Amino acid sequence: MITFWRVFKSGFRNTFRHAWLSTAATAIMVVTLLILTFFGFSIYFVQTQLKDVQQKIDLTLFISDDAKDDQIKALQAKVLQSTGVTTVQFVSKADALKRLENSSEEGKKLAKSATEIGNPLPASLEVKLVKIDDIGAINKTIRGYPEGAIVTETSYDSRDDNRKGVIENIIRISNAVTRVGGILSAVFLIIALLIIFNTVRMAIFTRREEIEIMKLVGATKWFIRGPFIIEGSMYGIFGATIAAVALVPISRVVGQFLVEKLNAGTAVNYFGANILLIVLAIYAIGIFIGAVSSWLAISRHLKL
Amino acid sequence: MILLDRVTVIYPNKTVALSGASLHIQPKEFVTIVGASGAGKSTLIRLLIKEEEPTSGKIIVGSIDYDTIDKSNIPHLRRKIGVVFQDFKLLPNLTVYENVAFALEVSGVKTKEIKRAVPKILQLVGLSEKARHYPGEISGGEKQRTAIARALVRNPKILIADEPTGNLDPKNSWDIIELLLKINRFGTTVVLTTHNKDIVDALKKRVITINRGRVVKDEKVGKYTL
Repeated sequence: MITFWRVFKSGFRNTFRHAWLSTAATAIMVVTLLILTFFGFSIYFVQTQLKDVQQKIDLTLFISDDAKDDQIKALQAKVLQSTGVTTVQFVSKADALKRLENSSEEGKKLAKSATEIGNPLPASLEVKLVKIDDIGAINKTIRGYPEGAIVTETSYDSRDDNRKGVIENIIRISNAVTRVGGILSAVFLIIALLIIFNTVRMAIFTRREEIEIMKLVGATKWFIRGPFIIEGSMYGIFGATIAAVALVPISRVVGQFLVEKLNAGTAVNYFGANILLIVLAIYAIGIFIGAVSSWLAISRHLKL
Repeated sequence: MILLDRVTVIYPNKTVALSGASLHIQPKEFVTIVGASGAGKSTLIRLLIKEEEPTSGKIIVGSIDYDTIDKSNIPHLRRKIGVVFQDFKLLPNLTVYENVAFALEVSGVKTKEIKRAVPKILQLVGLSEKARHYPGEISGGEKQRTAIARALVRNPKILIADEPTGNLDPKNSWDIIELLLKINRFGTTVVLTTHNKDIVDALKKRVITINRGRVVKDEKVGKYTL
């Protein structure tokens, strides 16, 4: 216990007596932590945006006017049983007209003229999917059912080539972002670790004589290593504090921009609501990087 | 007691640093080891603090047989032997007081005990006034006295001084030697290595002469002859 306290005190003291080294290491820690935070947020941001878009997409099956109620019910039940389908909602011809009426001023006019010629809008089944990726396959399956004969066309069909392309593009981008984002985060964390590791290693290299002397005086490995690890953690704590303080104005400005220009309410709100957790994570990552790099950097000097 | 029995050290590049060197130093003795550069003095010192392993031969210090000592016990061994070096080896970012206290801190001595022992030892070496200074702010002689204080504060049975006057002017050199004699009178075995003929001749103590890794002369009251 007495040793632990001494190690802690000595690490604390060294941090302040090696002011220049501490400043350099802390500065790099701040930059690293800010970059990691922005990077993490960007990935989260792109993913929430894509999810938003994906949720707006569903598969609409337009039903022939000749279809009977029990035929439609049979199809609805069949589709609901298909794998990858969450809900199937029936929209009658009258519902469709009402929706058009409520959609906008323009829609109101259109609905009025549509009523005059006897409501040409088709009834439809709106299918929500578990995964947007499956839309093509599910579309094909449904068209293959005998009950599917009453379907005139679907939102995925060739009538609208453009839309099909857009959906496929979104699927592709979404997958790419998740995969590339994961790889980039890992690469980034490794680069950050290497930069900090090198800084600490240089700091320790200039003090290798000190380590030598401690060994000669009879200090145990832990007595030598401990203060350096405390020092590394201090860089993490200082760096995280500065990064967290810097985040407040930055996130306000960037957040406002994102909400106004990109309609990114969800992601920004998430950031705001979890700010405490994010700050805690920054501290944890900072201390982790600082302590681990100190540990690694000092190990090679410790052979007796 | 220090006992070296036919100790040989051969470095990987085949340089023979010590070749069958034997010597026996009694408790409370004051022994000077002399020899030209490269004769094997520094190797001998490094063997005693187990910074180096002999290729063959036996080393016993006190009641400790160096063959049987475990790697994890080396720090404990070093705490029992006080060592003073030519280049002082003080921690630059600690004050004089803290440097001396450090030797006790690593041994797990209680803070209360440290606060009692350090000022006493600083007074013994005449550094009470400089306790709050950093090594960069004091003279060479004061640095060496700090190093001696650090070596002595743990009450070692043996004090090894490896060319302690090598970086000092004659006046400071004599101050250091007188300090070592005083320590010896208190009952500590002192092993001194030096190149300084005046000092060796004036000491009138036992002198062991090493040449090319062998003990070539061992006199009760010796002179510096190479």
